[in-house]
Amino acid sequence: MRKKNDKTNEMLEEKAIIIEHLTKNFEATVKKKGLSGSVTSLFSPKKKTIRALKDITFQLERGELVGFIGPNGAGKTTTLKILSGLLYPTAGFIQVLGFDPWNRSPEFLKQISLVMGQKNQLWWDLPAIDTFELNRAIYEIPNKRYEKVLDELVSLLEVKKLLNIQVRKLSLGQRMRLELIAALLHEPKVLFLDEPTIGLDVVAQQKMRDFIYDYNRRHKATILLTSHNMDDLANLTKRVVVIDKGEILFNGELKELIGQFAKEKLITLYLSKQADIKKFEEIGEIKKLEFPQVVLSVPREITAVASAELLQHFPIADLTIEEESIESIIRRVFKGEKVRQSKGR
Amino acid sequence: MKNPILKNLSRYLAVFKISFHHEFAYRVSFVMWRVRNIIQIFVVFFLWDTVFSTQGRVIFGYDRSRMLTYVFGLIIVRALVLSTKVVDVAGHVSRGELSNYLVRPINYFKYWFTRDLSSKFLNISFAGVETLILYIILRPPFFIQTNPISIVGFLVSIVLAMLIFFLLLFIVSSVPFWAPEMGWGAHFLVTVIVVEFLSGALFPLDILPQSLQSILSYTPFPYLIFFPLQVYLGKVSTIVLLRGILVSSVWVILLWFAMKSVWRRGLKAYQAYGR
Repeated sequence: MRKKNDKTNEMLEEKAIIIEHLTKNFEATVKKKGLSGSVTSLFSPKKKTIRALKDITFQLERGELVGFIGPNGAGKTTTLKILSGLLYPTAGFIQVLGFDPWNRSPEFLKQISLVMGQKNQLWWDLPAIDTFELNRAIYEIPNKRYEKVLDELVSLLEVKKLLNIQVRKLSLGQRMRLELIAALLHEPKVLFLDEPTIGLDVVAQQKMRDFIYDYNRRHKATILLTSHNMDDLANLTKRVVVIDKGEILFNGELKELIGQFAKEKLITLYLSKQADIKKFEEIGEIKKLEFPQVVLSVPREITAVASAELLQHFPIADLTIEEESIESIIRRVFKGEKVRQSKGR
Repeated sequence: MKNPILKNLSRYLAVFKISFHHEFAYRVSFVMWRVRNIIQIFVVFFLWDTVFSTQGRVIFGYDRSRMLTYVFGLIIVRALVLSTKVVDVAGHVSRGELSNYLVRPINYFKYWFTRDLSSKFLNISFAGVETLILYIILRPPFFIQTNPISIVGFLVSIVLAMLIFFLLLFIVSSVPFWAPEMGWGAHFLVTVIVVEFLSGALFPLDILPQSLQSILSYTPFPYLIFFPLQVYLGKVSTIVLLRGILVSSVWVILLWFAMKSVWRRGLKAYQAYGR
């Protein structure tokens, strides 16, 4: 009996994050329009329950970097907030590094970090270095360790010149990098990143991605990342969890999601002469038409037949067959197109 | 640094430092706030100076020197008791900035109490200088308390007043957990109306009818400003002094439990807005 318990404990230890049957409801006051509406709602407030999360279950291994995706309002941020102890779950079981986040014990908080794109912990009126110093004290980071980690982060994110400038005078991109440093000084083992590249330009986005990838590998940190940016997911994550309307739609390899979802292939062809457009429509859906280039989308099964047909009946100079891009698949997932998966994991 | 208490102390010392820096980032607004205080003192001073212009006049048990000492004492006691940073908490709750603190290993109440102490420290330093300058300009007859019991009683009642005010504001700041847009209104009610009028920050409360005074003596408000000043002026007997300290201590305990319970429930209802 004893042994068995030890074993289950050990298994639990390997999991960084466990979420089982998590439900979260919000109470919201419904307000009617206009002044009279405001007055009515002041005296007889109408409450409405919003079901933000409906029985979700998934887990993260230690050191895993998982993408958490879904359209706006799907419940991603709510999940992150529950995992970091900000929100009280309505029902279900959650554990992060063996802790119940809601207790917000200092030992737990010292090992995690929540980075939200627009929420800032940097003191607006002071240079960032002051906030860093404060965090050094709050997280009880030994001086030597602090110097080393700070140096490393500062040079990786290239912010040496920004440390002593009032935060309010910095650009969004500069600020985001400094926010990240403030969130990482205590070298968290679990990192919740909410839209880490939002509002950044392409170069800064790439820097941020390289950094996250590196941090995950070097610190064996567990990272759960939400993003709207296709590149973030394609470049960073192997596994994704797709959520919509508070329910998990998919949980597995990004490749698998694409395989399941990519029911069509794209045929790109270059015409040597003008041809009758209508006839293309009989073969597949026209995605793009810019003479001499035509892009057709056809069901996977008939790709071979379709291309033979095309080559036979049209004046074609060149023809290529491609998979639909990850970006456009994820875009479709975001739009809420149905993905169904036999409940795995 | 192995001592946990020492470690904890260094944490809040860091909060104290950054909070102090922060005050200086708003130099102009701080100076304006102090100017406002001085002008207020001027107005009240000249009002009472006129009232007491007849030699040897005594009104409501105050002679000229005690009344003017009351007015001067207001500068110091206001700086100690009413200067606070906790007014920002309601905004933190309604805008979701509270989240930034909840995810860090720091106690939110102690954090704000430390910030209050730093604000009080700064304010009292300025108030001290201002008092000196005003004293030189106005040359009022000043009543200096020499009785050690009154002085100790004064200091104790000041500490209790700071705690009462801190706890009151923290309770009020929890309103936005349930009604995010009502934070400011609730604050206005408590800090401006209730505190200014009922604490003795505008006039000594013993000019009020006796019945009203005795009702007030059971509320926490007179213990914020009026009571400490009465103690300093030596206007209360030892019995009344002890009674006052007892009543305000009971209020500190009651408010502490009320604050704990309200915040525990508030945090459960917290929606971490802002996105």
